[in-house]
Amino acid sequence: MKMRLTAFVTILVISICAMFYSCTKEATSSSASAGKGGSLTRFTIAGSFLYAVDNNYLYAYSLNNPAKPEKVYTSPVGMNIETIYPYNKYLFLGTQTGLFIYSIDTPAKPLLIGEARHARSCDPVVANDSVSFVTLKSSGCGPAVSGLYVYDINSITKPVLKKTVELPDPVGLGLQDSILYVCCGNAGLKVFNVKSPFLPNLISIKTDGNFVDVIPYDGLLICFVQDGIILYDITKPATPVLVKKIAN
Amino acid sequence: MKYVLLFFAVIFLYSCWEPFKKNYPNQAPLQKVWGSKPVYAAENIAKQIIYTAQKQPLKKAGNIYAFGKFIFQIDVGRGIHVIDNADPAKADRIGFITVNGCEQISIRGAYLYANSFADLVTLDIANPANLREVSRIPNAFPQFRFNYPFVQPEEKGYFTCPRTDSVVIGWVKDSIYSDCYKN
Repeated sequence: MKMRLTAFVTILVISICAMFYSCTKEATSSSASAGKGGSLTRFTIAGSFLYAVDNNYLYAYSLNNPAKPEKVYTSPVGMNIETIYPYNKYLFLGTQTGLFIYSIDTPAKPLLIGEARHARSCDPVVANDSVSFVTLKSSGCGPAVSGLYVYDINSITKPVLKKTVELPDPVGLGLQDSILYVCCGNAGLKVFNVKSPFLPNLISIKTDGNFVDVIPYDGLLICFVQDGIILYDITKPATPVLVKKIAN
Repeated sequence: MKYVLLFFAVIFLYSCWEPFKKNYPNQAPLQKVWGSKPVYAAENIAKQIIYTAQKQPLKKAGNIYAFGKFIFQIDVGRGIHVIDNADPAKADRIGFITVNGCEQISIRGAYLYANSFADLVTLDIANPANLREVSRIPNAFPQFRFNYPFVQPEEKGYFTCPRTDSVVIGWVKDSIYSDCYKN
């Protein structure tokens, strides 16, 4: 009910406001020979380095000899890191206290260049050239308001919170072109048009499972649901079509 | 003066040891309750990587990873399901890599990187029939040591405090003594 109200208000706001276009390039991940993970992961490969986070540390492993990773970097980041997301020359770290942005221009020496603090919560991240999307889940994590938080990262060293969309306990999220998929557990997979990224527009909700995380991959949306995997065809990103469910 | 201080320091420290000499006569004995009991494995067995070229049931869905025509899904704490996605309409699990204590995965080229408890393991996945561990960095992520999926049972309630000299690879329900409790 609350959700519908939020959606309604969002749509209303959009219809009143003049639309402005912002370039949102397709989010591609790292190098050609690596695969693609979801937004809840603690491991990611960019170029020939494996980056990993445990609760408090960021690690970089060189894959120069791919059969034998070699640790080249360790750095304390802060409290309760939860996720790592690579985009271009950056790593976005979702932590319970905020969003941290590292430059990996020098891959073996990640450099903290920006951060945005928020109230305690859980938060995966996805990003493109100018915007980063963060979901905050407060239940069991902290007092922050659960929802989708949109940051302007045109100035990458100073992320600016531009928009908050209240959602019930959102988890993982994925970006394909100007469509953002947000997993909201049993409340479904919420599909947002983010052509105007600071005015996300809810266009549909998929309720085929208990959604935890997604990977947009080669025209396919791979969803991690509580009982397995659901695949959607997203050749038209705004209208996912159910292809297959692989459950227990 | 020094010796006087030392004397008092020794007296003071001795008073700290005192409680350990007692046999806790006043503490009530632990009750028998219905709760979770750890399943242990020797470390070298718990850390064995085994590939089974057969569909396995999913117990607890975890992270997903897309790589070429395959999808990998973690079975939290147990291993990695391999899903053939060559034809998405017919996609299905085709095999399972046993990696106890596993939660994270990433792949590049012919190598899969995953955590096994606190270790970072590298698996050569070029040929499934010969899938094997090619290297392991022990304790690469020290914080996973006390934070891996089976450190505590999933259910709330009483459980047997696990021993620290063995690896927990699962939990079963049993009649136990009420020594640990999960809220």
